[in-house]
Amino acid sequence: MEKEFTPVSIPTSLYKKIEEKIKGTEFSSVSSYVTKVLRENLAKNEDNKEVFSPEEEEKIKERLKALGYID
Amino acid sequence: MEKRLLVIGLDCAAPALVFDGALELPNLKKLMDGGIYGRLRSCDPPITIPAWMVMATGRDPGQLGLYGFRHRRGYEYNKMWIANSTAIKEKTVWDYLGEQGRESILVSVPPSYPPKPVPGKLISCFITPSSEQAYTYPAELRLKIEEKFGPFKFDVTFRTEDRSQVLSEIYEMTENHFQVVEYLLEDPSWTLFWFVEIGVDRVHHAFWKFMDREHHLYEPGNPYERVIPDYYRFLDEKIGRLLQKMNERTAVLVVSDHGAKRMKGAFCVNDWLIQQGDLVVTEPPQRGQSVDNLKIDWSRTRAWGWGGYYARIFLNVEGREPQGVIKPEEYEAARDELAERLRAIRGPRGEEWKTVVIKPQEHYPELNGEYPDLMVYFDDLYWRSAGTLGYGTMYLAENDTGPDDAVHDYDGIYILYDPGKSGGRKQEANILDIAPTILRLLEGPSVPGLKGRIIE
Repeated sequence: MEKEFTPVSIPTSLYKKIEEKIKGTEFSSVSSYVTKVLRENLAKNEDNKEVFSPEEEEKIKERLKALGYID
Repeated sequence: MEKRLLVIGLDCAAPALVFDGALELPNLKKLMDGGIYGRLRSCDPPITIPAWMVMATGRDPGQLGLYGFRHRRGYEYNKMWIANSTAIKEKTVWDYLGEQGRESILVSVPPSYPPKPVPGKLISCFITPSSEQAYTYPAELRLKIEEKFGPFKFDVTFRTEDRSQVLSEIYEMTENHFQVVEYLLEDPSWTLFWFVEIGVDRVHHAFWKFMDREHHLYEPGNPYERVIPDYYRFLDEKIGRLLQKMNERTAVLVVSDHGAKRMKGAFCVNDWLIQQGDLVVTEPPQRGQSVDNLKIDWSRTRAWGWGGYYARIFLNVEGREPQGVIKPEEYEAARDELAERLRAIRGPRGEEWKTVVIKPQEHYPELNGEYPDLMVYFDDLYWRSAGTLGYGTMYLAENDTGPDDAVHDYDGIYILYDPGKSGGRKQEANILDIAPTILRLLEGPSVPGLKGRIIE
């Protein structure tokens, strides 16, 4: 089984900058912030997630709830 | 002449109803007598999405990166996306046949919205927002369908207490589907025709308690006792009409994506997590509140859960979730400890449950997409997972989002009838076996890496 987490090295100066940046935000650790930014960056190339408009998504979520598939 | 295959998908069709002989289903029986049939073990999770795509691709949910109808979008707490056709990156059997220049007709194989170009024709499935959207490939197919049969009926309005209304909508929808299918079957171009009827699933969820004497809400002599058997007979008759149109070079596969069994109740997993101290709230939950809008103190929360026919449990891990608290190096131990506690949960009367807890990393040889940290089948799927909470009890006699009498079961059905072969044989198979079996039957290309075995 592959490990679920693995460390990455980044320059200390960058680490400190990020630490400053996330003060007072919802991010409690540099790793959390880096994970979010990298994931978002990589996800830009994925085309499968913006299929429904927000209204459609709401409607489908309600339907899927009623059908028992979610929540 | 070239062989063809008609796949009749009956979403949720259960072995007990099809094989036990209690219901007279002469057309299905004819296929069984002349073919191979038996239980078909679904995938994990045994849910419509991903199950139909597991069947169509021969790849498991881990490979597909598809674990249900919704997934987290990254690791933020409240962002999600709904499964749709563009999420399917693996090739399906119709893609492989298309590479040989052969055409398929696909009607409502989930998920097929938005309608993607396919080698052949396609009508999308019940995740289509409405029949106002483009829902066919090619686009002009929709006009032809609507001209003859009116707008395609994707689903019924569910969870209404007015069961008679649900029932009439189910019949109207299924009638509409079979009309469209009969019409499209006339098209001479197809090698593979794959149709999924969702009405079977809907009739189970809305009427199981009226039929099943073991269901805790069963009432003898209730007016809906015969609804499910009658619907199966209606389906059998409709299938008989399709079979009359088939010639001696057409094989038929009747198949379901998962089975069904009585629901014993819904377990409020987030109430349990609060009680256990894993989930910390800043305001007590309102009755029926969804975890999605619960006031959570993330800086003190270790885990939360999603509802559905199974529970997805997420851990709040430092370096992954924005305010993660579990240290990455403690992840495995924290997860094992939580899994152990989940397995030990007992029922409302203190009875033992056969809860199954799955670690995706161990369960799937390959793991893609936004998988949960744990997948939980409460009491072997008899208890669904409620994502909502605040009822004053963790055990709900009914579904949290409305009446629901049935849950999913691991085993669905298959009946493979090949006119060129002798039959009458019963043998168990796995959902992964379907894709290689179709490819062999239709003399498609040999595809490396398919784990299923050919049913023959």
